[in-house]
Amino acid sequence: MHLRRRTLLGFGAAALACGRARAEPQALMLAIARDIQGALDPTTRLSSLEANILRAVCPGLIAFRPGSFAWQPMLANSIHLESPTAIAFELRPELTFQEGFGPLTAEDVKFSFERFRTPGPDGKLPTYAADWAALDHVEVSGPQTGRILLKWPAPMLWTTVLPDASGCIVSRRALEQGAYRTDRQPVRVIGAGPYRFASWLPNRAVVLEANPDWPSEKPAFPRLVLRPVRDTRTAELALGANEIQFAGIDPQDLAAVGKSPSTRAEKHDSINMVWLGMNVAAKPLDDIRVRQAIRAAIDVEEVIEGGWGGTVSRANAAIAPGLLGYWPDAPARPRDLAAAKRLLGQANAGSLRLRLTLLNEPAYQNAAAVIQAELAEAAIQLDLDVRDAGAFWSAGSDEALQLALQRFGGKADPAFNLQWFTAAEIGEWNWQRWRDPAFDLLLHEAASIDDDAVRARLTIEAQSRMDAAAAFVWLTHEVHAYAYRDWLRPAVCPNGDDMSLDLFARA
Amino acid sequence: MGRPLLERLARTALVLLGASLLLFALTLAIPGNPAQVLLGPRATPEAISAFTHAMGLDQPLPVRLGRFLGHLLSGDLGTDVVSGRPVRDMVLEVLPATLLLAAAAIGLAVALGVPLGCYAATHPGGVIDQALAIVSVSVIAVPSFVVALLLLLVFSAGLHWLPVIGGGASGLLLPALSLALGWIGYIARLLRASLLEVLGADHVRTLDAYGVPRRRIVLRFALRLAAVPVLAVLGVGIGRLLGGAVLVEIVFARPGLGTLVFDAIGNRDYPVVQGSVLVVVVMFTLANLAVDLLLLRLDPRAT
Repeated sequence: MHLRRRTLLGFGAAALACGRARAEPQALMLAIARDIQGALDPTTRLSSLEANILRAVCPGLIAFRPGSFAWQPMLANSIHLESPTAIAFELRPELTFQEGFGPLTAEDVKFSFERFRTPGPDGKLPTYAADWAALDHVEVSGPQTGRILLKWPAPMLWTTVLPDASGCIVSRRALEQGAYRTDRQPVRVIGAGPYRFASWLPNRAVVLEANPDWPSEKPAFPRLVLRPVRDTRTAELALGANEIQFAGIDPQDLAAVGKSPSTRAEKHDSINMVWLGMNVAAKPLDDIRVRQAIRAAIDVEEVIEGGWGGTVSRANAAIAPGLLGYWPDAPARPRDLAAAKRLLGQANAGSLRLRLTLLNEPAYQNAAAVIQAELAEAAIQLDLDVRDAGAFWSAGSDEALQLALQRFGGKADPAFNLQWFTAAEIGEWNWQRWRDPAFDLLLHEAASIDDDAVRARLTIEAQSRMDAAAAFVWLTHEVHAYAYRDWLRPAVCPNGDDMSLDLFARA
Repeated sequence: MGRPLLERLARTALVLLGASLLLFALTLAIPGNPAQVLLGPRATPEAISAFTHAMGLDQPLPVRLGRFLGHLLSGDLGTDVVSGRPVRDMVLEVLPATLLLAAAAIGLAVALGVPLGCYAATHPGGVIDQALAIVSVSVIAVPSFVVALLLLLVFSAGLHWLPVIGGGASGLLLPALSLALGWIGYIARLLRASLLEVLGADHVRTLDAYGVPRRRIVLRFALRLAAVPVLAVLGVGIGRLLGGAVLVEIVFARPGLGTLVFDAIGNRDYPVVQGSVLVVVVMFTLANLAVDLLLLRLDPRAT
């Protein structure tokens, strides 16, 4: 074969054409920060990634509206509050489980919800059992109708349970045949939702395909590919090259990513909680004056500037603006070094040496460095105990833990967001080991009342008790940033973690 | 060759045993109760007790060690704490991707480094020789993940010639080049020095005097001897290359042992870390054994 210049040019043109053809994606590719871990089971799911997949494949009676925590009917034809403790529902008649697992009935709803309150073979309740703590039982009155009967009114069900993964309807038969588990290949997730779980190649991709039997409006994309891209910079470059069409990005890169042609980048205030927690059961932090001194010695504005480079706003309490129970008058304490020294003097804690435990991530390390410098001015020597995720998230069981930089993801309901600070969570998620029966009572009341105004008042009162304890220095509610191709309309909930994959649409 | 071969095999077995013991010690080094750390803060005392028993953590140390080594000999690397899958299956799933990346990187380094080294040795002081000296020194010092990011910026984001996270041969080129780039210059410089020494030897000058073409002398006779130190260095370098592959896999979003270990560390999933690291150690040790045997064949004096 004689290679001539014209032949080579022909090959070049063909290659270019192939390259252009690749610019029109056959499937919507989304970058995910990590691969699936643990089971794809609503009761034991590990995080929002698994929840996002579950909601697209086996949704519940209701679902989140695009980009919001408000809800709309999904598998339910109708659903309403019959009384404060009874929710009546009627299923759409034509729903069937994928892969021939038969029609979806009210019995499946009963099974899916009641299994949250059923201990496993080890006698242990599922991870998300607390979501359904108010559930008494589900009463089935017909193939498509039933009532969810509650032990007490639970408004949280409408915002963080029914539309979220704890409200997903699974097939009992599929579950008994090993579906929803990831320790067996191929992994099967059976639902009646707009997408079907097509495949999971570990560390390569999760593929969802439009469910041909979905009786309502078909999803905009016949195929979704979720690709693990652990490095944010790589995700940003892949987005610019149109190899993926949606990715979470570093808020500090927002301007640079937004400059790419055909790419849109957005930043939104989030509802998460980031704070410096103090273990009130550990000496010398058991003295409230020491805690107040630490709080007074810290300049929150400087800490968030150092940690998040000016991309986030300051938080003054646990509940973020926009949520029920937001406390607009929460004290925003300016730094007061003189007061800090005075309080330390009163506590006879002239020169202290403390340990701050934090995640091995740049934002937390930078924030911790600022805190370290600020406390040094108050004669408090701070040692930094930087840990990888695994070791960090098990630190709460250590009674000797002193200070910790913590972050919890937020949901729409204030009772959900504050539940981690009750006495029952000591040793698990309440790393401050702060115990206040009045707080627990307020939270329980706020979780069991339907009146939003009363709930807001009780939630604010609960936060004021947290403030009085001086065990928390609130830093930020964070922001979340993502970028996407300009022809795409993503459906991301206000916390930035939850997404309605089935509602991603063409702009 | 029988005795040296046996010696090397015995040494390899010892290295593997030592590595296994070190990995076993890893579980002892976990602060606090390993079962609590593995199962997380929400684990009930019953779950911790059941897990402790299932993992044999309540057994005396010698029993645990014996069980650990026994499992290894039968190819059982334990169970992933998060998903409940056998670690062996998880490792075998991603191992081909890492092997392919490592093989491509070594192949690229040898394919480019050897001709460059030969050219530089046969044209000492020339433009290519001098350029090689400057470029190789500067590239060797740069970590492979930095090279990876630069290559991504230039060839994927800038020129759009190659995919950022794509699969297939085009998706392999940049990750392999990121790992290989430092080695290309290193191999070339090492081979140049070695080749210059060999080309100055008596037997080469004799061949020259007999009128054997220079090209034939280099490729047929000198290269074989000059390759000995290069191979020795390459054997040790495979470990560094595998270490670099971890970060390169993350930068290019490639599946592999690197991403597996990265995720497992974040999840306190020590069985996966243990199993993956052991496989890397085995790969490294076997690669060195292969290099040792090759050296024996190239230079029988190296016993």
